[in-house]
Amino acid sequence: MRKFIATLLLGASLFAGPAMAEQITIGLSAPLSGPQAYFGTTWHNGFKLYVDKLNADGGVNGVTVAYDQQDDKADPREGTLVAQKFCDNDKVVLGLVNFNSGVAQSTLPIYEDCSLPTMTFGSNPSLTKQGYKLMVRPVANDLAGALLPAEYALGKLSAKTALVVNDKQVFGQGISEIFAKNFQDGGGKVIDTISVAPSDVDFAAVLAQIKPKKPDVIYLGAVMPQLALFAKQMHEQGITATLIVPDGGYTPDLIKQAGEPNVQGTLVAIQVPPMDASPEIAEFAKLYKAKYGEEAGPYSIYGYVQGQILEQVLKTTKGLTREDINTALHAVKVKTAVGELEFDETGELKVAPSYLYKVEGSKFQLVGSK
Amino acid sequence: MGNLIQQTVNALTIGSIYALIALGYTMVYGVLRMINFAHGEMFMLGAYVAFLILSMLVGDVGMAGAIALTVAFVVAVFLVGFIGVGIERVAYKPLRNSTRLAPMLSSLGVSLSLVTGMQILAGPQPVAFPSFFPVVRYEVLGGTITSMQIGILVAAFVLMFGLHFLVNRSRIGIIVRAVSESRPTAQLLGINVNGAISMVFFVGPLLGAAGGILYASYYGIMSPTMGAVIGLKAFTAAILGGIGSIPGAMLGAFILAFVEVGGTALLPVITHGVLGTEYRDVLTFAILILVLLVRPAGILGEAVSEESIVYKREF
Repeated sequence: MRKFIATLLLGASLFAGPAMAEQITIGLSAPLSGPQAYFGTTWHNGFKLYVDKLNADGGVNGVTVAYDQQDDKADPREGTLVAQKFCDNDKVVLGLVNFNSGVAQSTLPIYEDCSLPTMTFGSNPSLTKQGYKLMVRPVANDLAGALLPAEYALGKLSAKTALVVNDKQVFGQGISEIFAKNFQDGGGKVIDTISVAPSDVDFAAVLAQIKPKKPDVIYLGAVMPQLALFAKQMHEQGITATLIVPDGGYTPDLIKQAGEPNVQGTLVAIQVPPMDASPEIAEFAKLYKAKYGEEAGPYSIYGYVQGQILEQVLKTTKGLTREDINTALHAVKVKTAVGELEFDETGELKVAPSYLYKVEGSKFQLVGSK
Repeated sequence: MGNLIQQTVNALTIGSIYALIALGYTMVYGVLRMINFAHGEMFMLGAYVAFLILSMLVGDVGMAGAIALTVAFVVAVFLVGFIGVGIERVAYKPLRNSTRLAPMLSSLGVSLSLVTGMQILAGPQPVAFPSFFPVVRYEVLGGTITSMQIGILVAAFVLMFGLHFLVNRSRIGIIVRAVSESRPTAQLLGINVNGAISMVFFVGPLLGAAGGILYASYYGIMSPTMGAVIGLKAFTAAILGGIGSIPGAMLGAFILAFVEVGGTALLPVITHGVLGTEYRDVLTFAILILVLLVRPAGILGEAVSEESIVYKREF
């Protein structure tokens, strides 16, 4: 008899639960361990900062947001496991997924199959050209990321020749090819393309081959810590070309690991504005520091912006199913901390900001934006 | 010409670091007929322990002076030497009379524990490591040699010469060689076998740690997984030179380094990026296979007697 009452009570409580308030879950997937952990955690932290604030204010129209944070280890195999997990969890209605283009490449088909809409962070241009109906990319792609540095090298540095080095990964090779194309279209000459292995730590042999070619600029399509190692060894070999690196280099580690004198003048292109670019961004930087006790990471502001996009989506969506969220996401038009954002039919940003920094002392100095 | 000199210097630098690590593999194998897979982690520990000592000595590691660096180097290599002896006591000695596979598997376990432990303690991220020498460039016949490279060459050769003296000219060396020849016979003759084995497990990790510190200092970073790839390379070098042979380990290391640098220098440039430096390992292992086809015991492999063949069959 007692057992019967207990069962009855349990049943009643199950019915009582969902009627109270609605909660949706956002799946977060990025490298949280390994060499790229810094990028993944600080990006997610930016998002959590916004969402926690949103929840504290009672959510959007009574809908609160939970998140399920998973480590994809920057590894496509891990990424697909996480993707399957999010797909199988009915509470997850949106994915904020994959820092690395190479990982996104293999997870996007899975998300597409289970109709889970995603905000993708991988910046390789090909990702939006594969006809995915459920993804948007709230960050500039590599076409934008490699245009500004090419223009700067030709215009401001009056560079005539460039040498391109890449690590043969989806991101590194892709962005360096785009740089080479932009540089050539602008009238420069690419004297050689050299590829290295992503696990390389010793570039001395390659650099000794580069030195006699005397390029004006060297573009290095790779990630950390290879960027720092290359910069250090390049300087130690006495190569004076200006080194240009993609967004992965926008971290204090670049300066620390290469050694300050070895990276002076190195150019870093990234989608992130300086933290004092506008009062709103400065406010974000302050909030971030107060909550996590450290400076905002290179992509934290985009996590925050994705939070703002999510808020707008929840305001405009018809319902909370994956389909409804997807429709609202593709139609979203929102004023965010980095400006007004909206997506085109392929999920690409209509206007994608991009910035160029130069290492001066122990700081990144803004030298151009677009 | 300048380029050739440049690449030779690069190869000698990496070769001497490989050699320092390869010696540990070869010594342990020479005495215990065991492959110590945890040896690559001694290399990693060397860098981390030196970093820890530096930060205790000077606070901000980047500002360390020459004296602090020397102290950190010496203390770290000795500490790692003692850690090596400790690992042998705990993980290998109890298994000494079991099958050959048991201590080898135990060493794999030690290796994984050390890497994971370091990831938990110090974080998985690569950490900046200070330069042991102020980097000055010297132009020699068109090539560039840095003070760092000269320092690594000198340090490595001093250590290798010291080892040569220890093994061939000292009393300890005689004991170690006797145990390596035949453990049961040495024991019957009243030689302290445990002492000799401890000595091997002290010197091997010490040299490995020295290699690790030089390596971290040369490239400017260290990470918990840095021992894995380079450990494999050094192991290959030891096999190539003839495992169990000390000159063989050094020779193997330098051959490997020259092949690697040659491959890395030529492949990407000849093929304009179609083939990248990832083929350096293909070259390395192709050479290894070729050498082993001709000389199965390695280039300077031990002279194989009837007795030692039987001895090795147990493996």
